[in-house]
Amino acid sequence: MLTDIKVSCSPHISEPLSTRRIMRDVVIGLAPAVAAAGYYFRIYALILIASCVISAVATEWLCNLIRRKPNSLGDFSAVVTGIILALSLPPAFPIWAAVIGSCFAIAIGKMVFGGLGANILNPAMVGRAFLTASFGMLMTTWTVPAVIDSAMPKIAADTGIDARTQATPLAWSKQAIKTKAGAEIVNKQLKDLFIGSVGGCLGETSALALLIGGLYLVIRRTINLHIPLAVLLSAFVFATIAYLINPQAYIRPVSHLLSGGMLLCVFFIATDPVTAPLTPAGMWIFGIGVGAMTMLIRIVGEYPEGVMYAVLLMNAVTPLIDKMCKFAPAGGKPSV
Amino acid sequence: MKIGAIGGYSFPGGTHPPQNKELTCEHKIHPGPAVKEVAVMLSQHIGAQCRPLVRAGNMVQAGQKIGDSDAFVSAPVHSPITGKVKEIALRSHAVLGRSPAIVIEAYPYSPTKRSDFSFDDFDEDKYSAEQICDAVRQAGIVGMGGAGFPTRVKIEPDPRLPKETMIINGCECEPYITCDYRIMLEWTDRIIAGIKLAKKAAGCSRVFIGIEDNKPRAIEAINTALKSTSNVDDIKVVPVKTKYPQGDERQLIKAILKKNVPTGGIPPMIGLLVLNVATTAAIAEAVVFGSPLTYRVVTVSGQAVARPGNYYVAIGTSVSELIEFCGGVTQKSAKVVLGGPMMGIAIADLTTPITKTTGAVTVLTRHQIGRAKFARRQTACIRCGRCLDVCPERLNPTKIAHAVKNNALDVAESYYISACIECGCCSYVCPAKIELTGYIKTGKIFLAGQKKKVPQ
Repeated sequence: MLTDIKVSCSPHISEPLSTRRIMRDVVIGLAPAVAAAGYYFRIYALILIASCVISAVATEWLCNLIRRKPNSLGDFSAVVTGIILALSLPPAFPIWAAVIGSCFAIAIGKMVFGGLGANILNPAMVGRAFLTASFGMLMTTWTVPAVIDSAMPKIAADTGIDARTQATPLAWSKQAIKTKAGAEIVNKQLKDLFIGSVGGCLGETSALALLIGGLYLVIRRTINLHIPLAVLLSAFVFATIAYLINPQAYIRPVSHLLSGGMLLCVFFIATDPVTAPLTPAGMWIFGIGVGAMTMLIRIVGEYPEGVMYAVLLMNAVTPLIDKMCKFAPAGGKPSV
Repeated sequence: MKIGAIGGYSFPGGTHPPQNKELTCEHKIHPGPAVKEVAVMLSQHIGAQCRPLVRAGNMVQAGQKIGDSDAFVSAPVHSPITGKVKEIALRSHAVLGRSPAIVIEAYPYSPTKRSDFSFDDFDEDKYSAEQICDAVRQAGIVGMGGAGFPTRVKIEPDPRLPKETMIINGCECEPYITCDYRIMLEWTDRIIAGIKLAKKAAGCSRVFIGIEDNKPRAIEAINTALKSTSNVDDIKVVPVKTKYPQGDERQLIKAILKKNVPTGGIPPMIGLLVLNVATTAAIAEAVVFGSPLTYRVVTVSGQAVARPGNYYVAIGTSVSELIEFCGGVTQKSAKVVLGGPMMGIAIADLTTPITKTTGAVTVLTRHQIGRAKFARRQTACIRCGRCLDVCPERLNPTKIAHAVKNNALDVAESYYISACIECGCCSYVCPAKIELTGYIKTGKIFLAGQKKKVPQ
C-alpha cells in the first residue's frame, strides 16, 4: 500500500555522480605523484603531504564551525587542496611552515569566499604564493632526490661526499639564459626529467607519475582535454620560439614541458573547475594564457618557475573570460 | 539538401539515462480497466479551455462530444463511456493544478472501446484535405507526445508558413515508456494511413519517420509495411541515435535535417511539421472511422508497479484506478510520475485523471528516488561544466539557475532562459545535485508573471 508519495520537480532520476566522487577521482589521480614523491624523497615527503592534508581538513572544519555552516568535509575538496599544496613544496620544507601555508590556503584561499565553488583563485596556489612571499629562502632550497644520478651537476661545490642541495633543471635554465650558455646540461637530463630523478618540488619531479594520474582523470572524464592541451601547446610554441633564437641559452621545448610544475599544473591545478572558465572557447583562452604566462616568467622574468603566478593571474580573469565566451543558443540568438 | 551527416543522425549534447524499457517493451497493448467513473478534463491541450456541452444528470453516449470551444487553438473533448454526467467538478491536473472536469458515471456493462481498427482497404484519395482537417478537429486530436498542441492547427495549411517536410516522431527517448514502440509494432498500418492523411492535409512533399536505433524491430516493422504499401516513395524511416532527448522535436529536426529551429520559434518557420506516432494513429482512426480521441495507450511502468505493461485506457480514468489495475504499488514509499522520469510530473493526488497527453504512469521506487538529487545533500556548484556539455540547446544552465536563485531575472534572460526546453539533462548529470531544471522552470514562471504585470 502506498502511504508515502514523494513529489519533486523533474527529472526524477540522476546520474550516480557526485562532487565527492569527482574529488575522490582527483585524489586517485594524484596518487602516482604522491608515490613518486615518497620514492624520491622518502618518508619525510609523505609526512609533509599528510600534515598538509590534515591541516587543510582541520581548517575547513574549523571555518565551517565558525561560520555556523554545515560540515563540508564530505566533498573531499580540502584533501585535494592539501595534497596539491604539499606536492608543490620543496622536499625539505619544514612542517610547521607547511601547516601555516595549508591553513592559509583553505581559510583565505577558499573559505572566506564562501567555501567550495565560490573561490576565485586556486586555494593551493594561494597557499603556495603566501609561502613564497613569507619564506622565500625555504621555498627555494632543493634537496637532492634520494636516488639521484651522481653525475648530475650540483649547485654546491661537488665535494663528492654529500651534496645536500641541488639546482632544479629550471634554475639551471635560468642560469643558462643569464650566461647565454649551458642549456644543453638540462637538455641532457630529459630522461631524468621524465622519470623524476631531478631536484624540484615534491610532486613535480616525475613527469611519468603525473602523466599516469592525468591520463586517469581524462579517461574517467573528470577533466576534459581543452585546458591541458591549450597550456601545453602554448607553452610549447613559446619555448620553441626561444629555443630557435638561441639554443645555447634556452632549453629545449620538451624539457620545458617536463620540468617544474608544468605537468602538475596542466592536469591538476589549471583544470580545477571552480577557477577555470566554463565554455570550451574560454578554456582554450585560459589555457593559452597560463602557458604563455608561464613561459614568459620562465624565459624573461626573474623567477625560474612561473606556473603558480600564471595560474593565479588567469584565475583572476576567469570571470571576464566567461563573460566574453558566452554560448549563443543552438537556435541562434532570439530576434526580439 | 543533405540528409544526415557523418556520425549518424544525432544532435550535440544530450545524455544517456538507463532506459529500463525492458519492463514493458514486450507487453502487448491490452485493454485497460473497465472504469465505473471517468473525469474528462476540459483542458487537455494548449489553448482555450473547453466549455461543457452537458450538465449534471445528462445521459452521454460513448464518443459524444461533451466539451468544445469556439477558439481557433483548442480541441473538443468527448466521453469515452456511455453513462450519466455526475457533476462538473475540479480535478487535479498535472500542469494546470485544480481544473474543471466532467465526471461521468458509467452505466453497468458499458463496453470499453475496441482498439482493432482495420486499414486493409484504406485509400487516402477518398478524403479531401478539408475533410481530413475537419475530422481531426472534430475528434479533438492533440499532440499525444506530451505537449498537447491541437493537431488541426498544426496540419492545416498556412499560406504564410508552407510546410514542405513532415517528421514523424517515433523516438520515445524517455526511459521506461514503450507505448509508442508498441503502437509502431502493432498498429503499423494505422500509423502509415495517418501519415498519408496528415501529409495530404498539410501539403507536405516528403516524410521522415525518426526512430531511435534501440528499437530495431519498430524500424523493421515500419519498413516492411512501407514496402507493401503503395504511394509511399516519399516516406522514409530514419534510424536516429539513441540519446536523450532525441524525441524533442527541435533535436529530432537537428538530427534528421541538420537544421536549427530558431530560438523561440516553431518548426513551421522552417517549413516543417512534426507529429508523434500516436497522433498519426489517432488521425487515421478519426478520419477513416470518425472515432474521437477518447482512449489512448498508456505505459504503466516502474519497479514499484506489480504488473507493468501497456494498456488502452479511457481518457479520464484516475491514476489510482490504473495502478490498481496493474496490481498496485509494491512499496510503501514511491514517486508517481505522469510521463517518464526525465520530464514527467510527479503527482501527489492519485485521483488525477489520465489526459490525452499522458503517455505513461511511472512509479519509481524509494531506491531510485534516493539516487535523485534531493535525497542526497547538494553541494555548491563546482563549475565543472557538465550541464553545458549536455545541454542540447547550448545554454549555460548553471548561470541561469544561479541567476534565478539570486532573483536576477535580467541576468537569466541574458543567458537565454526562455530557450530552455526543460529536458532535464542538466539536473540529471549535475554532480552537485543542484535542481537546475527546477530553477530554470521557476525563473520562466517569474518572468511570465512579470510580463503580465506590465501594462500594454
